[in-house]
Amino acid sequence: MKENQFITLGIESSCDETSAAVIREGRDVRSNVIASQIKVHQVFGGVVPEIASRHHLDNINTVIYNALEEAGTKLKEVDLIGVTYGPGLVGALLIGLATAKAMAYALKKPLVGVHHIQGHISANYLEHKDLEPPFMALVVSGGHTNIIDVADYNHYEVLGRTRDDAAGEAFDKVARVLGLGYPGGPLIDEAAKKGNAHAVEFKRVFLEKDSLDFSFSGIKTGVLNYLNTQRLKGEAVNVEDTAASFQLAVMEVIVAKAVMAAERMKKDRIVLAGGVAANSLLRKMLKEACDKKGFALYYPSPVLCTDNAAMIGCAAYYKYQAGLADDFYLDAYPNLAL
Amino acid sequence: MNILAIETTGAEASVAVIDDKGEVFMEGSDQKLNHLQNLMPMVHTLLTKRGMTIDDLEYIAVSEGPGSFTGIRIGVSSARALAQAMDLETISVPTLKSFLYNVPEYKGVICPIFDARRSQVYGGAYRWIGDGEFTEVVPGAAYDLHELLELLEAAVQPKQEITFFGDGILPYREQIIEWQRSSLNDNIRVRFAEDGVKLQKASSVARLALEIYRAGAVKSLYDLKPVYMRKAEAERKLEGKA
Repeated sequence: MKENQFITLGIESSCDETSAAVIREGRDVRSNVIASQIKVHQVFGGVVPEIASRHHLDNINTVIYNALEEAGTKLKEVDLIGVTYGPGLVGALLIGLATAKAMAYALKKPLVGVHHIQGHISANYLEHKDLEPPFMALVVSGGHTNIIDVADYNHYEVLGRTRDDAAGEAFDKVARVLGLGYPGGPLIDEAAKKGNAHAVEFKRVFLEKDSLDFSFSGIKTGVLNYLNTQRLKGEAVNVEDTAASFQLAVMEVIVAKAVMAAERMKKDRIVLAGGVAANSLLRKMLKEACDKKGFALYYPSPVLCTDNAAMIGCAAYYKYQAGLADDFYLDAYPNLAL
Repeated sequence: MNILAIETTGAEASVAVIDDKGEVFMEGSDQKLNHLQNLMPMVHTLLTKRGMTIDDLEYIAVSEGPGSFTGIRIGVSSARALAQAMDLETISVPTLKSFLYNVPEYKGVICPIFDARRSQVYGGAYRWIGDGEFTEVVPGAAYDLHELLELLEAAVQPKQEITFFGDGILPYREQIIEWQRSSLNDNIRVRFAEDGVKLQKASSVARLALEIYRAGAVKSLYDLKPVYMRKAEAERKLEGKA
């Protein structure tokens, strides 16, 4: 493949996806192999860190091998190795990190540690070839709910964050109590399509006026209370209606705050990223809100919304272009700040 | 021919190179439990001190476990990645057996025990039988301490000394001494390893790796597996329910 094109090998293992990707010239995805552990953890109703770490180790070398094969690249042709170094499960992160460090050392190639959220945002650069900062980013996933002012490829300011559960966590918990299973995001999305979103009025939690922060523990409790009340009254619960009503209540708050942030910071583009960015209602509502304000909306295709190494490779490329590289002491940071 | 050996299963990490004549050099870290951060710089220091580069290596050996789950994974993933990047084969070294090479002249029973919490140890027992050959006295596994001691008691020969190694000495020393006192077998004589040889050492991993190489038992990196000797807690609980 080579011919003087800059090749980045991206590696991601922060939660329950083991992934490796080959990126050409920063934005051209030549391969993006993802070994998902969703089925492994389903039986436990959530990600078990020790089991996730074991599976990452089982999978990582084959995933890298397959990514190189698919791209028609040899390891010796790789110019840069980018790897997620936080936030995430520390035992999971270190599989990707130990692998990336040893490979970079053996190949004598530069190493760049990537913030997982910076990766999610960068997924949009892979999808939309002309997209460049500045813009307002909304990152919603199993572990994160953030509104981020993206000034440049490597300059981020978090304007809003969750004060308790991430949106994806609330989805997982509500899906569990509704008996829908795990993971909650896609299951609630599906169930909600068949339900009436105005059947139950769950309280929208906006926190202080003007705050861009989120709180999702209240609505989670709201769903639990509703289920208990129905049970005590001996009345049946319509799972689809409850899922739809819960989802609408969460998304209304997220969309309102994202638009408020863009207006406040005078940005006319909103970039959506993270696992929950694949949610059909969120995409639809955010699109409508952006159209109303005359904002452009960007989001990645579903495969790039999930945790993947292509986005990490892309973010690593832009860090490296800006002169940011790491040495072999690079460590894992489970609570890494952006 | 040079083998790189990686030892990250315990609190202190070390790396070593050994050549086909058995000459071995080790580099250690006294920085506890920061193996992810320190491993590659430590490899670099070792190679630089020996006037070598990574390209002088022909096999990558790693201490496969048991030990700290995280430590095992750092070692195995680093070893596999080095092998994958350089297209080399690997050597999987049983961590407990590597203690034989901490005391190559010792005539007694070598019993490494690692604290596995929940009143268990990962342990095994081995003994040199001459001409560089050794025998397994008690197979390596996760044991309740008393279980391991019973197996030892049944297996040791008259007048044979048992030396305990590993970080399991710290929590279980008193219990082991008590066992010796109360034992019906008055042949049992217990010792505890001294500081320099008490814990895992990459130089011993390298020596055992060389023997495994000589026996032709090198393997592809894709066959190099961690040896945890215990299931993840969530799996055990799940099986308990079923």
